Amino acid sequence: MDLYTAIRGRRSVRCFAPQPVERAVLERVVEAAVWAPSGGNAQTWRFVIVTERARIAKLKTVSPGLLGDPAAVVAVCQDLAQARAKGSTLGETLLAPCDAAMAAQNLLLAAYAEGLGTCTIASFTHRAVTRLLKLPEGVEPILLVSVGTPDETPKAPPRNKEGVVHWEVYGG
Amino acid sequence: MVDKRELEAEIFDLIGYMTSSARNLMDETPLYGPFRLVDAASRLIAILEEAGVESPRLASLRHEIDQGKYSVTATPAELKTFLDALVDRFVDHLDPDESPEF
Repeated sequence: MDLYTAIRGRRSVRCFAPQPVERAVLERVVEAAVWAPSGGNAQTWRFVIVTERARIAKLKTVSPGLLGDPAAVVAVCQDLAQARAKGSTLGETLLAPCDAAMAAQNLLLAAYAEGLGTCTIASFTHRAVTRLLKLPEGVEPILLVSVGTPDETPKAPPRNKEGVVHWEVYGG
Repeated sequence: MVDKRELEAEIFDLIGYMTSSARNLMDETPLYGPFRLVDAASRLIAILEEAGVESPRLASLRHEIDQGKYSVTATPAELKTFLDALVDRFVDHLDPDESPEF
């Protein structure tokens, strides 16, 4: 799939068909995530792939933004202790969440290229997700990404173009 | 119809949704507040339907909520229009003749 087609065609999907996603496909899309850039090549992201129905149901209970019944949920996490060790304060507070977001975008586009729907979720209770996924101390969930066969085709929200892009200087 | 144990589990999940929403809304965009409220209403109606408590007006409200709740991702004006219409629909259904009989 052409990259621009994927970028423009991807939507946030919140309604999924009740079909499983093959483990090999999930491995491919997460592999795409780890090819993202990271500040100072820190690569301190960690991914927890959840496919058990009961565990996804528990995640949904504490994650208001996790809607529909996806076949899988990928928790994009950061080892903030390592991020701090590698990148100091900037590594922990800025680079780690930026790196997680760039990895998540790779995952979204790869999943779209596989014919899957995804939704990025920040509306979840961190302490509850940390417990449910048994994350070790220092590893924090940054985003959840639901993955599944789409059962809807959301229309593209309009893109604001006015005042967004500036050339050379702001306002130029 | 669901048994009491299933009903308790459904309600437990709904309470989890509402409680975690309450916590998250402390840090999230205020627009998510109305969305979570009407979404919780829709989930409650769904639970009641499974438990055998259903009526045309509840089904109508749930349908209306589910059709428009994602306007939260559009613009505040669109969300407001959706919520206004939802309140209007609620008032339309206030007639007690539409209440289910048990």
